[in-house]
Order: sequence, then C-alpha cells, then structure tokens
Amino acid sequence: MGRTVLERLDRLPRRDLTVLALKGLSTLVPGGWTNITNADQLIQDVIGDTDPALVARIRARADQLSRARAEGYGRALSLYDAVNRSQHAAGGLRVLANLSAGLPLLKRLADVTPPGDTLQAVDLSLKVGSELLAFTQVNGLPGDSFGDFGAALADYAGEARVRMAALICFDALLPLGDQALQKLDSLLGAANRKDLNRLPAYRQMAGLIPGRSDDAHLSFLRRGVDQWLGWAGGFVGELGLTAQGTVQAVESTLGPWQGRMDQFAAFLDAFTDTYAHTGVQAVARRLVERAAAEV
Amino acid sequence: MPRPLRWILGLVVAAGLLLGGALLIPFGDWLPGGTVANVPNQEVVNGTAFNRLFPAPVAGEQLVFSQEKRGFSEARLRRGGELVALLAISDTTTAPEAREKFGSSQNAVAGWPLVEQGSQASALLVGGRFQVKVIGQGDGLDLQARHELLESFDLTALARLRPSLSPVSARKAPATPAPAAIGSAPALAS
Repeated sequence: MGRTVLERLDRLPRRDLTVLALKGLSTLVPGGWTNITNADQLIQDVIGDTDPALVARIRARADQLSRARAEGYGRALSLYDAVNRSQHAAGGLRVLANLSAGLPLLKRLADVTPPGDTLQAVDLSLKVGSELLAFTQVNGLPGDSFGDFGAALADYAGEARVRMAALICFDALLPLGDQALQKLDSLLGAANRKDLNRLPAYRQMAGLIPGRSDDAHLSFLRRGVDQWLGWAGGFVGELGLTAQGTVQAVESTLGPWQGRMDQFAAFLDAFTDTYAHTGVQAVARRLVERAAAEV
Repeated sequence: MPRPLRWILGLVVAAGLLLGGALLIPFGDWLPGGTVANVPNQEVVNGTAFNRLFPAPVAGEQLVFSQEKRGFSEARLRRGGELVALLAISDTTTAPEAREKFGSSQNAVAGWPLVEQGSQASALLVGGRFQVKVIGQGDGLDLQARHELLESFDLTALARLRPSLSPVSARKAPATPAPAAIGSAPALAS
C-alpha cells in the first residue's frame, strides 16, 4: 500500500551496493542491464516516443492500475519486500556468526545460527516460489493452455535475465557451490517444517502459498522449484555461470574479496537488495506496457 | 460484573483490535476487492475471451501471451526471437477517457476509427468499446505494418463480445428461446 509502483521505481537508488553488485553480475549476461530508476524514461522506452502529454496520461493510468488491489501489481511488490526482509535478517545473522566465531565469549552465537545448506536451499525455494506467485499476480495466467503459460513464463524470465542470474548466482551458486542446482532437490527433500519456520519470510508468506499445512507448503515449493530447475539449468549452461565467475564479476565493481564464498553470499544477503530492486523494475515494466495499451 | 473488570475487559478488547489491525497492515494489498476505477468485475469482459482473437503468427513469427487480466490481454510478437511489437486488446469500460480520442478520428481500418499515438502506437476502437493497440518495439514498425497487424485481429468477433454474465445474473435472466424452440438442443445451448 501507500506508494504506487512507479513512485517506488523513482525512489530506487542510482548508485549503491545493490546497483554495483548487479552491474558487476551483468557483465556475465549478454545484453547487460540498465538501471532504470526513472518512470518517465521507462514509459518513453516502452512507447518509443517522448510526447510529454502522452507520457503523463500513461503514468496516470499506471498509478490507477497499481492502486487497484485486484490487479496484483502492489501484491507482487509486497511479496518481494517480505522476501527481502527475510534475506536481510538471515544474512545479518550469518555475518554476525562469522564475525563472532573468532571471539571466545561470542562463540556460542555461531552455534546458534542455523547452518548452511538445507536452510539456504529452503530460502532459495521460497524465493523461486514467491517469484511464481508474483508472476501470476502481475501477469495473470496468460494464454489458453498450459503450454502458453510455460511460454509466457520463459519469456518473462528471458527478459529479466539479470534478475534471474542474480537469483541463481547469489542464492544458489555462491552459498551452495557449482553443483547447487543438481543438489537442490535432495536438499529440499531433507528439509522439514522446522527449517521452513526458521525463515522470517515464511511466516509472512504462509497464508499466500497454496495448501493448509507446512508440509503442503513445502511440497508446493518443491514442485515450483522443479519447474524452475529445468529452465535454470539451461540458463547456467548457456552462460557458463559458476561461483568463481560470479565472485570475479562482482569484484570488478565492488572491489576484491578475501574470504570464503559462503561468507560472500552472506555479505551480499545482508547488505544488498538485489531481489527487491530488480523486482520493482520488472513489475514496473509490465505495468507500463499495460497502461500504454489502455490509454 | 464489577465495574473495574468491565473497564479492563474493554481495554483488552480495544488493545486486541488495535494489535490485530496493526498485524494486518502488511497484508493490506492482499485484501479482496479494489478493482480498476471501482468498476465491478462482472461488467468487464475477461481477458481470456480476447486471446483467440489475436492474429495467428505466420512462419518465422512467435506470438507469446504476456498478460491477461479482467478487461485486458496482451501478447508479444517476435520475429526470429527479436521483439517486434506489443499487441493488446482492452475493454475501455474501466477507462472511458480512452474512448474520447477516437471522436476526432479521420482515418479508419476495417471500418473502425483509427488513432495514432506518438510515432510507434496505433489504436483502433472496435464496437465502440474495445481498444485494439499495436505498439512497435525495438527498431519499430512503420505505419503500414502496424495497420496490417491491426487488420489481422478478428475484429468482427471482437465487436460482438459482451461480458459473460455472472452465475447470479444468469439465473435471474429470463428464458430467451421462443416457445416453439424449447426442447431443441441447439436453441437451448445458444
């Protein structure tokens, strides 16, 4: 609620840690990435014209659409925000655990923080699941068949390539290693309700995920991830994404990193908003495309 | 019930309501309702009805549906993987001001009024209600190509579309077939 999608787009940072991390990562993705933080510029880009009266009319329509709850644009953003908050909380804990492991008095903290892989896998599945939920909120169920829906999903992912690359690299390859996608299914199989409930975002999202129990939610997330894995595997192969490559690409803008890769992942989780940042941009583009067609 | 207890109970209820309200704030977006321009959904044609009216892609083209909502459906036209145009059909019931621009229209495609918006968008108003639009993307499309695309939509079927009645109003609607036709299956099905 509150701000419309385009207002949020106008408020996105032009240069901060998030933007630098994405800039670095985008060197791995052909076509690159432009950090669009100006709604008028986005509208001009979509309609291929700069007529100020037309731009103003499209903007007014877009704001009207994003205020209509039933249209789902605001809902998608609230999902991204929930996931982003959870990521900050979990990342912050891991950074703290890393720092405190060296101090005798605080050693216990390191024991308390949830260890690695399974939790990371559940976190990733929550992100993929919310991506699917957000997609249906923003785009509806396009087309008349499941094949049409699959094509729409692949098309969307293809346009948001840097967003998907960030999801794969920062949330799968860095913390889980190069074999992350192959390991993911067995890791999720090992996950139980306790792991799920440890994630702050889950408590906020639980009501939105189909199914009535934690176990039903977990199986929904597993199925969502299964769908996504096929696509993501092809994407990783096509671009040759690796954990090492990710570190090098991000080092080109953020500066050198001397530490383990999972520490780097924790650092990025705690201090960047890549998921919400690119999410706002992706939703804004779809919203503007609709508004331009309706005015 | 003693007076202090009543006060305490009252305060507890008030605090509970306040807390409950505060907990619901992040979910405000997920409450039902809130349609575009507050037009009830039943009065707007569902986007599903538009999908089959889009032009069929010729060889070398792909038509990928990208958005479908109440009163709106949009597809991307690609040629050899390259995005060429956005094609959309929308119901102007939620945007009556969109119809105004057709009032001064001098041109027509397939008999329906035509308006150019900027250098890349052509819009057509079909049946006084549905707006069909082609927006050139990437390198852009010239006027001729956009008009040909507009013409290849199934405009006659579009002009005939009406919002499907909700189950409630369908039951209320009087039986339409003439007495003689009752009992013949096709007449009942129509």
